[in-house]
Amino acid sequence: MSKGINIRMQRRSLVVLIVLVFIGFPVLIFRLVNLQIVQGEYLQKMASEQQLTDTKINPKRGTIYDRNMNILAQSASVWTVVLEPAYIDTDQKRELICSGMSEILNIDKEKLLELSKKKSCYNIIKKKVESDIKDKIIEFKNNNKITTGIRLIEDYKRYYPLKNFLAAVLGFVGADSQGLAGIESYYDKELSGEPGRILTARNAIGKEMPFEYEQLVNPKPGHNLKLCIDENIQKFLEIALEEGVRTHNVKNRATGIVMDVNTGEILGMAVKQDFDPNEPFEIYNSEISEQINSLPEEERQKARSEALSQQWRNKAISDVYYPGSVFKMITAAMGFELDVVNEKSSFNCTGSIKPIENARAIGCHKRKGHGMQNFVEALCHSCNPAFITLGLRIGAKNFFDFYKSFGLHNKTNIDLPGESTDLFFNADGSMSSIDLCVASMGQNFGITPIQMITAAAAIANGGKIIQPHIVKEILDENNNIIKKFDVVTKRQAVSEQTAKRVTQMLYENATHGAAKNAYIPGYRVAGKTGTSEKIGLSTKGHKDYISSFCGFAPADNPKLAMLVAFDTPKGGQYYGSIVAAPVFARAMQDILPYFGIEKVYTEEELEKIDTVVPDLLGKNINEAKNIINSLGLKYTVLGTGDKVISQIPDPLNHVPKESTLVLHTDSTSSSEVKVPKFTGYSVQDVKFIASKHGLNINLSGIKLEKSGAISSTQSVPENTVVPKGTVITIGFVHSDSSGD
Amino acid sequence: MSEKRVPQKNKTKIKTKIISFMKYLTRSGLDIPFLFLVITILIIGLIMMFSASYPNAYYLHKKDSFYFIKNQLIFAFLGVIAMFGVSYIDYHVFRKFAVPILMTSFVLLILVLLMPAINGVHRWIQLGSFSFQASEITKFAIVLSFAHFINLNLHRMDTFKYGILPYLIILAPTIILLALEPHISCSVIVILLAAGMLFIGGVKLKWFGMVLGAIASALIYLVVFTDKLTYANNRISGWLDPFGSSGVDTWQTRQGLYAIGSGGVLGLGLGNSRQKYLYIPEPQNDFIFSVVCEELGFIGAVIILLLFALLIWRGMLISIRARDKFGMLLGIGLTAQVGLQVILNISVVTNTIPNTGISLPFFSYGGTSLMMLLAQMGIILSISRSSRLEKL
Repeated sequence: MSKGINIRMQRRSLVVLIVLVFIGFPVLIFRLVNLQIVQGEYLQKMASEQQLTDTKINPKRGTIYDRNMNILAQSASVWTVVLEPAYIDTDQKRELICSGMSEILNIDKEKLLELSKKKSCYNIIKKKVESDIKDKIIEFKNNNKITTGIRLIEDYKRYYPLKNFLAAVLGFVGADSQGLAGIESYYDKELSGEPGRILTARNAIGKEMPFEYEQLVNPKPGHNLKLCIDENIQKFLEIALEEGVRTHNVKNRATGIVMDVNTGEILGMAVKQDFDPNEPFEIYNSEISEQINSLPEEERQKARSEALSQQWRNKAISDVYYPGSVFKMITAAMGFELDVVNEKSSFNCTGSIKPIENARAIGCHKRKGHGMQNFVEALCHSCNPAFITLGLRIGAKNFFDFYKSFGLHNKTNIDLPGESTDLFFNADGSMSSIDLCVASMGQNFGITPIQMITAAAAIANGGKIIQPHIVKEILDENNNIIKKFDVVTKRQAVSEQTAKRVTQMLYENATHGAAKNAYIPGYRVAGKTGTSEKIGLSTKGHKDYISSFCGFAPADNPKLAMLVAFDTPKGGQYYGSIVAAPVFARAMQDILPYFGIEKVYTEEELEKIDTVVPDLLGKNINEAKNIINSLGLKYTVLGTGDKVISQIPDPLNHVPKESTLVLHTDSTSSSEVKVPKFTGYSVQDVKFIASKHGLNINLSGIKLEKSGAISSTQSVPENTVVPKGTVITIGFVHSDSSGD
Repeated sequence: MSEKRVPQKNKTKIKTKIISFMKYLTRSGLDIPFLFLVITILIIGLIMMFSASYPNAYYLHKKDSFYFIKNQLIFAFLGVIAMFGVSYIDYHVFRKFAVPILMTSFVLLILVLLMPAINGVHRWIQLGSFSFQASEITKFAIVLSFAHFINLNLHRMDTFKYGILPYLIILAPTIILLALEPHISCSVIVILLAAGMLFIGGVKLKWFGMVLGAIASALIYLVVFTDKLTYANNRISGWLDPFGSSGVDTWQTRQGLYAIGSGGVLGLGLGNSRQKYLYIPEPQNDFIFSVVCEELGFIGAVIILLLFALLIWRGMLISIRARDKFGMLLGIGLTAQVGLQVILNISVVTNTIPNTGISLPFFSYGGTSLMMLLAQMGIILSISRSSRLEKL
């Protein structure tokens, strides 16, 4: 055995040792440095992502109330049914659960069986299950002693108990309760609350790890909202608007706004036709719906989504229109403020005016002209040449300055999504003389209804531009106030004096002038009608119009302003005085007394004052007769009993004197009548028809019976069957009040 | 006062007993540092195996969290007894067994191919409830027989006839049989062990160059130009991009890396691994070191690596100073086997090399394998008894 071999072996052994210990191990340590220190954070994050299962618990969305805490939108518990395959360990249990769930939830059993074999513990099989179904599932679990494998997780569903009511303002929510339109969208953050979560560390097959990793974060419920909207005022507004839409065959929807002129609170805002926010994805206009269904398949989807976005659009804030003659109240205010006109200034109307040389003449709506008139008369006539003359005196620069200070060049920033900006002639405010002329009468520039009523409210409240707003208060879950929205006065648009003078003229207008169809007995109304050609739509001599009315009351101490606008009436009439003014009157005659504004009758009015129907229920028939006689009413008794068990009309209805009350004394006696046609008649004729059919009427929109008013609307459509004695409100318009 | 003295007396009694036991153990020159390292690593290994295995035991074995550790403890106990037992045997006895064990290895490698495949591979021999990997015997057989034959032919190792041919005759069928299982990782270990022993035995370096060249070109040909090695090929593309969406199953590697990364510097604490919750498949087996990294962090992992390095260092020293060349070759072979397994296993777990199934000595679950390993440590201890090493 040579020494050489010995040394070689030792040397080579050392090489092996060095390779293993001094090369192999350092490489490993280098790799660990890289993985644990350099990449550690990243790998840890990736690991956490797969280990933690985050189950979201939806918070309860806040309730929306009207100003009197009536519920407008509310979330109620529904349930998500979750299948937990990881906990289904026997085929017997699988079969039991799948057949049970298939039966209760009406789901294909094969599908459930397939799901139940997945390696997971969270498979949603049905969402938004109502509590009756939930109870069935709980019963099923109890009966079969099942504790795991099927699980119920609380969720919420949005309900709008009043259906279409206030839909355009409320908006609606999507499948995950996220606000998609209206208040629901604008205040989504406040309403939503914060979702809770169950953070669970899970292993690879989805079972929860047995130790310490489950963490529950409770959801925070959303805030409640108290709106400025008053449910009753909104109801009066919607009823009147609907009637107007029906009567005048309005093609492109109508809108109405009721605003408190001193606080900017929006008490009512409606769009008709509207939609049911419970089912917002249905198309409610049957005409459009049919049209879409007749389209070829591939175009249907697009047409549908267009129709839907149109349906959801809040016309009061999103649609720009020419305000037309309504705007003349603003022009008048400008004139007074600049002192280029006063009430006694005289204007001569020849039926048309050539504002500048070589220009095309602009006609007045009265072809033969209004002749010589003072400024008040010119406003009452809504005389175009007079206002064109005034516009030229004001001048383009001043016009635009006032336009801006009335807030028409800025969004009102009302707390609703989708507000449009105005469309003025040129962005820098410059305008040609012709532009100025037509602008003076409210044509050729576009503003939104909310801008118009905010400007009108400034006339009513002494010149102040007030921030309009929908939400009054934000409340916590126990309805404690978190935030209150105070009155925000933006600026003084015109002096108080100017505002008062314009108000006085508008009062004259609503009493004797073109707006007299807006007259409401017992109230001093100020207002202006408007009939504007639709923007960009005048095809082949066939024009579409927007008929509107904007006014406020009482004229001596204005409280409420209201604007109604009807887009494209196709019922033959399109003048604002005929279409819009009566709707204003119809709504306001209910709204004003409800709002607590007392009626102050003139002597003339006192003669024909309405009577409030007394409550006769349960009273002896003779006693009832005496009460009726003492009130100057008539009666018809049906039945043979000696006590009143029902009466028509119901107590507290308003009826004119000499109306007939129908009293039932037993339950067998019933009498029904078909409602006849009431429109197109004089007051006398209407009264005759009513008494012939045993119906009562309530007259709306007329000041004096003897004046030549013609009935134009009826609150209950023709041929409807109603009990005898039912009160039908008949709207009248003055035949001599064409104008606009 | 007198009451207090009694336990003190007892304490000193126990102390003296322990010391006398240690003296007894080392009387005939047992290397205490090596023994200490083996026992320390074994204890740490058992603790970590328990920690890594209990979620799997809980979920997959009827909620018995102790399912794996119970088995492992029994074999560890038997293994330690075997280790001491073997340490008393004069290792020269094993020369007689070199050929029979080699034959046994061949028989088992053929037999294992007839066994039902588990996960598509034939690696396990089942005897009732008792099972073991045939390759465990093979590794030992190669080390023992090579040590024996090299020792016999030390002067002729630089010739082809005595330095290369006999070993090729042993190695070629072994590798072919292992490839048929298939068990590439074991082939790699066997080849590396054989090469290492031949290198120390004195084979001319040019042979290594030639063989390495041949293997490299064959591998490149197979991987690049054929799909014969798709099994391995897939693993390689998965290795290059463990987080990619190559469609290759890199789940195990990825989960291992998540675990290692999650550990950071200080670790999540003993028992706090999250990745062992069924993310890492069989965390008690080949990927146990990723759980070690996750729970004990970089610091813990490095300490364990240092312990292994010290063990190998000590084992090599014992062997180099062995009384004779057979002891030297045998000791180096057995030590190198542990070193190679540790390095290859952790390289796989850290995705330094492509994923192949190599277990981590003293840590991975596997009773027979642990028992064999401890018995092999016993051989090294036996060598140490006559080694010319400065005794501590």
